[in-house]
Order: sequence, then C-alpha cells, then structure tokens
Amino acid sequence: MKKYLIAGFRKALGLHRPGRSMVIREDDIFLVSFPKSGNTWTRFLLANLLHPEQIATFANIHLLIPDPTGTSKRDLDGMAAPRIIKSHECFDPRYGRVIYIVRDPRDVAVSQYHYHRKLMKIDDDSPIETFVTRFLAGKTCPHGSWGQNIVTWLSTSEGSPNFLLLRYEDMLADTVRELTKIAAFAGIAATPQQIAQAVERSSAARMRKLEETQTDQCDLTKGSRKDLSFVRSAGAGGWRSELPASMVESIEAAWGPLMQHLGYELSSHLPSKARNYESLGILSAR
Amino acid sequence: MLAQIKYAVKYALGRDHAGRNFTVYPDDTFLVSYPKSGNTWVRFLLANLLFPDEEVGFANINRLLPAPGVSSKRYLKKLPRPRILKSHEPFDVRFKKVIYLVRDPRDVVVSEYHFNLKKRYIDSTVSLEQFVSKFVSGETAGYGSWWEHAAGWIAARNGNPRFLLVRYEDLITDSIAETGRIAEFLNLPAGAERLRIAVERSSADRMRKLEKQQADSWTGTRNTRQDIPFVRTAKSGGWKEALPLQSAEEIEIAWAPLLNFLGYELLTRQADNIVMPAWIRNS
Repeated sequence: MKKYLIAGFRKALGLHRPGRSMVIREDDIFLVSFPKSGNTWTRFLLANLLHPEQIATFANIHLLIPDPTGTSKRDLDGMAAPRIIKSHECFDPRYGRVIYIVRDPRDVAVSQYHYHRKLMKIDDDSPIETFVTRFLAGKTCPHGSWGQNIVTWLSTSEGSPNFLLLRYEDMLADTVRELTKIAAFAGIAATPQQIAQAVERSSAARMRKLEETQTDQCDLTKGSRKDLSFVRSAGAGGWRSELPASMVESIEAAWGPLMQHLGYELSSHLPSKARNYESLGILSAR
Repeated sequence: MLAQIKYAVKYALGRDHAGRNFTVYPDDTFLVSYPKSGNTWVRFLLANLLFPDEEVGFANINRLLPAPGVSSKRYLKKLPRPRILKSHEPFDVRFKKVIYLVRDPRDVVVSEYHFNLKKRYIDSTVSLEQFVSKFVSGETAGYGSWWEHAAGWIAARNGNPRFLLVRYEDLITDSIAETGRIAEFLNLPAGAERLRIAVERSSADRMRKLEKQQADSWTGTRNTRQDIPFVRTAKSGGWKEALPLQSAEEIEIAWAPLLNFLGYELLTRQADNIVMPAWIRNS
C-alpha cells in the first residue's frame, strides 16, 4: 500500500516516467527502431546537432532526446517544441512524424545477445542458439519480434511523407549524408560544418570513452557488467563471424522476404516459410 | 494540490481508469476492432454465450465483457481468468490472443458519422462528405485510420493460430456459424441450441429495445442525443445509398488493396488493376 501511495504521489507530481501514457504533441518527432538497431547512436547525432553548446553524453541524453520510459513526465512536459523522442514501440498512430531505423536482424540478434550478457539477463555460457530461438519468437524484449515491429510500421506508414525509413548500414557507410536527410526531415537547419561536427562528436570512439565513466549514470547500462561495453562493434556484418550457420538460416527462413525488401542479401537459399513482404512498398501508393 | 492527492489515492487504490496502462495477462483474449464495426454486438453475443443466466444488456455489458477504456484497474484485476476484454486499440504487441473484427470502411464511416452526431462531437453543419475526408486521414476516432488499424493487426498477426479474423458482414449473413467459429476459438462449449439462443438474445431488435430502457446506464449512450439511436441499421451495404459516389471513391482510392483482400467489392475501380501488397496476398 505504501509503495502504491508513493507511486501515486510521484505520478501526481509528474516525477514518474510516463511510458506509453505520455502526452503526445502534434509536432513531436519520434525516433523509432527495434532495440539494438542504432537508436542510441542516432540520439547522440541528433542531440549533438541540436545542442552544439552541450556535448551529448550518457548522463544527459535523456534530457536532450528524451525517452518516455527513461525521462520523467515533468521533464518531458517542460521540453520545447518540436521534441524529438526516442521509442522502440510497434506502430502507434499517435506518432505524427517518425524516423524509423532498421538494421540487419542477423546483426541485431548478435548485438542483443551481448547486451543481455552485459545486463546479466543471460549467462556467458548460455549458447547463442538458445538466445536466437527466443529472439525469433519475439521473447527477448517487450517490443514484438524484429519482423513484427517492422511490419507494423511498414504496412501502415511506408511511403508517407511523415515517415523516414533509414538503414543503420547506410548510416555507417555515409553518416554525413544520412544525418543530412534526418535534419531535412526534422526541419533542422544545419550547415555541412554543423553536420560534420555532430558526426564527429558522436563517433563510436567518443561514445566508448564517455561510456567508460558514465555506465551508472544511464538507464541503458545502470548496474550492468563493466567488462562488457554498451557501444560494442558499431559495425555491420559482424554476424558473419559470430552467428552459427544454422541460426543464420533460421533468421532468413523467418524473415527472408522482409529482409530482401529492406535490401539485406540472404546467404542461404532456403525456401522461405515466411509470408512474402516484397512489395510492401505498394501500400504506400495510397 | 488537492487534485493531485486525490489522484494519488485513487491510483494507490487502483480506482483510476485502466486505459492503456493495465496489466495484460498471457491468457487474456481481446475482442478488437476499429470503432463502429460491430464490437458491441459481438460483446452481447459473447456475454450471452458466457452468461446464459444473466439478462445481458447495456446496463451490465461493461461488467460482463469489460473494456479497459472504461473499467478500473482494480476491477480488471479481480476478474476471473482467462479474461475476455473489449478493445479498439490499434496494434498492441501485448495482446497475444485476438479476435479481430473488421467491417467495410464505407459502412463504418456512415455509422461513425451518425455516432458522432449522437455524441455531439459534430453537428449537422458537418456534411458526410467532409466527414469522409477526415475519416480517411484518420482524424475522426482517436485510434488511427481504418487502414492503419486493419493493416497493422493483419500484417503482424494474420495466419497466427492465436488470431481470428472475423468480418462483420459474415456475422450478419450467418450469425450462428460465425458465432460458433468465435466460440471455438475461445474453447467455449457451444452447441447449436446455445448458439441460437445467444444470437436471438443479441438481435438488433432486442438490442434496440434494451437501448431504449438503458441508454442512461451505459457509458456509450449516456448524455448523448436520444433522437439518434446507438443501434442503428445493423446491416451491411447501407453505404451504397448513404454515401455520395465521390466519397465512396475517396475511400476506394485510399484503401483498395485492403478492401480487395477483405473481399469488399469496389464500385469505382477495377479489382484486377490493383496491385496487391505481397504480405496481403500470402497472409
């Protein structure tokens, strides 16, 4: 009872993290992705672009690019418009403008596996096969499976002028070009110099350095293992050496056509049991 | 500050409205639809199947087949499990077992127009044509557009054994068979006689009669215009008379692939010219 009263007062005073019950404004922009798809990096890029006077860190990121599950209602309500808000949610019609980042699910699986080791959700000797099986079933996080999360967004929003679809791999290959796209979409006036500075300030090397001293100041890493880092490879294609062939096959069998639709080449040529998502883009012709 | 204290106490006692923030259990079943798609009718059908000894009506439907939007968290928590809950939510990943009820959006919009008049959300200066344009852009109901609702649920779940797609139109044409299909999905014991009685007790005529007596005892009809009924035509295809051709066309242009997939005949476009998204074709 006491616990509930305290929670009730925190709520009444706006000190709680509102999560899904956040009050959404019409001009909010949402930065959405399945977990482990480059969302934090993009938050840093945007924060450094929007706030050149204040370098983005793991300690202040929740106040610069807020997260309804990591920022208090009071802080969220106090932010100037337009807010750019981080989210991992499946499709939500209240989100007016959405930047959606996808990443190769084979890399996402590897990344999430290591992240869960860091968070001590799984033991080091827990085989990656077990993890991938749960990953495919959407049981490793509360945001659906990788395919489900993406298909709810693509089927409803792809092709809309209020929906910007980006690939993590393209962001790695040409960060300046992709951040310029994001800035244009979000209506941020930015010179090439400002873009370059934001990219530089958000490099993997710099983020790793910040992480070293701020692990416990950030919700993403608080109380986690210090011997494993949150900013890990920050690369693409790591799955080729880390993921057992049978797991690659399982992922491709589950989501092959959707992966191809997003431009991810398949390594196996197994007949896919999945539904064919190839021409999802046609939905957007509406 | 007093308001804050009141809220804190309400919250602590679980008396605040659950809305979207209620605990979902893995064995819950959700009856989901876009608004004005026959959800209340199916609630009556299910309540009559589940509680043959109760007189199901508007006055007790929120208790018998609860909706998190209007029930308190405390009430939802006390319900015996497995629970069956009503919802209009667009895709929600927490809902694992779902009966998804879909209705021809050309009928939905006509129904929603009258419902909005009844609720005084709009007055008669808003024409049906104007309303259709707002409907197409998803501005009328608070749950996204009809397309976003149906596409989100169907793309993510159709084909899953824990997802049952039901068309309002089939429910109208063969109420007993479709109710039987729903009962089977829910593992409810429902012989022919029990189904027949549930359908009869949930007929439009009976619901109209109950509405007359109980309009003030239900959240859906309380403080609304009494000259417009909640249970209106309870038919399919009414749009062919009610909807101006150009409004029907507006909907068909916007949503042809999904209309086609759901078997809703197009009036203004050739079905063979529509390129179907592959997730629809194979689902």
